[in-house]
Amino acid sequence: MSQALTFERVLWGVTFSLNAGLVVLLVSRKNHRVFPFFSLYALVNLLQGIVLFEIYRILVFGSQASILVAWGTQFVVTMTRALAVAELCHRTLAKYQGVWKFARLLLLVAAGIVAAAAWAFSRGNWRSAILSFDRGLELAMASAIVLLFVFARYYDVRLESAVRTLATGFFLYSGFRVLNNTLAEGLLTNSTGLWNLLGTLTFLASLLLWIWALRLTQQQTAAEPELLPEDHYRSLSPAINARLRSLNEQLSHFWYAEGKKT
Amino acid sequence: MSFTFYTFLIIVALLLTVFVWSLRSTNRQTVPFSSSGVLHDFQASHVMHLPQIRRALAPTDYEFVSKKISPKALRQMRRERRQVALTYLSALRAEFDRLMRTARVMAALSPEVTTGQEMQRIFLTVSFLWRYRATRLILRAGFAPLPQLSDLSNVLSSFSVRLEEAMREMGERAAVVADVVSSPDRRRIHPV
Repeated sequence: MSQALTFERVLWGVTFSLNAGLVVLLVSRKNHRVFPFFSLYALVNLLQGIVLFEIYRILVFGSQASILVAWGTQFVVTMTRALAVAELCHRTLAKYQGVWKFARLLLLVAAGIVAAAAWAFSRGNWRSAILSFDRGLELAMASAIVLLFVFARYYDVRLESAVRTLATGFFLYSGFRVLNNTLAEGLLTNSTGLWNLLGTLTFLASLLLWIWALRLTQQQTAAEPELLPEDHYRSLSPAINARLRSLNEQLSHFWYAEGKKT
Repeated sequence: MSFTFYTFLIIVALLLTVFVWSLRSTNRQTVPFSSSGVLHDFQASHVMHLPQIRRALAPTDYEFVSKKISPKALRQMRRERRQVALTYLSALRAEFDRLMRTARVMAALSPEVTTGQEMQRIFLTVSFLWRYRATRLILRAGFAPLPQLSDLSNVLSSFSVRLEEAMREMGERAAVVADVVSSPDRRRIHPV
């Protein structure tokens, strides 16, 4: 047990150093201007490490006060991470004005539904409610990232390499946190150590991805596409859909002709 | 390990699958940063070859030939006709893909898109792909006897006139749009 605790402390030290390194890298490469919310998240995360270290030094680990401070700071960190995820979505899609308006709506609705559904699995007591709330937020972020990638694929939008790697880090971290929170909720009393260890390992992997993504200075403003005049979409889109529908009908009649006699 | 845990495990696994799938395909051709090349594909269509396919699948042809040739040759003919149907299916798919790409690029480059139109297109895509795969599977497995392929020719006949008309109309529209897009005073947003 003491060995596990030592290992966890070493890991904590490593992640804290890497987090500090990430903040330094962001500033030195001037990437804090390109990704302001991501930089804010990295900074808040670093500050949370310092606050938690001090709290656990002063207060008893697992006491009501330390839990309150831990979850309070975690809420701030999670919210800044949500802003960082939104920033990635904005950077990728905002230059495509029409698609961005459509995607923004879908992303918000999907994230809201996912968060509410995850919250619905809450068990009733306050610790479970906190875990469920956190899980809901993490699942909403993971879903938003997946939707962003699906949108980029569907509309053939180019994803910047840095955005792709940053989003991958967020997705991995959020995905693991969803599972960790669920595991912790089920085995609430005796799995805190394991939960923290898994969380730290996942965060370490994400940190390494983010450092890799931001090792170079990023372009502050991505080139904007030359847009079509407004009325082209209005006049051609229904026509294309009608054509797609007729192709579909053709296929369904083909299917009907096949199915009728088999 | 509870039901809740497995539920979330499945959700995360599904999200991971979609995530990997969407990551894998980002190497594809991306939206052009100029609108002038968007619409030129719009006028080409595999459906223009429908008259030849109709002739190849005409039931009268089959009836006539079945009286003149050996069963072996008839079997060979059946195989070839099935191949024609499969090729036609592939052509439909190719045309669908080309139209979808045009529609997507146009949406991406439009300052305003309609949610209804986009959702409808997503629905059409899912519906088309499902039917396409099922029809192809049935044809490949040889479950379609010749009379059914003859039915197909009737289907094609009834649709071809409408399709060719629609394509001509679309081509004219696209030509007008392409002309407007390439004119020097079009609205454009300059790169920052």
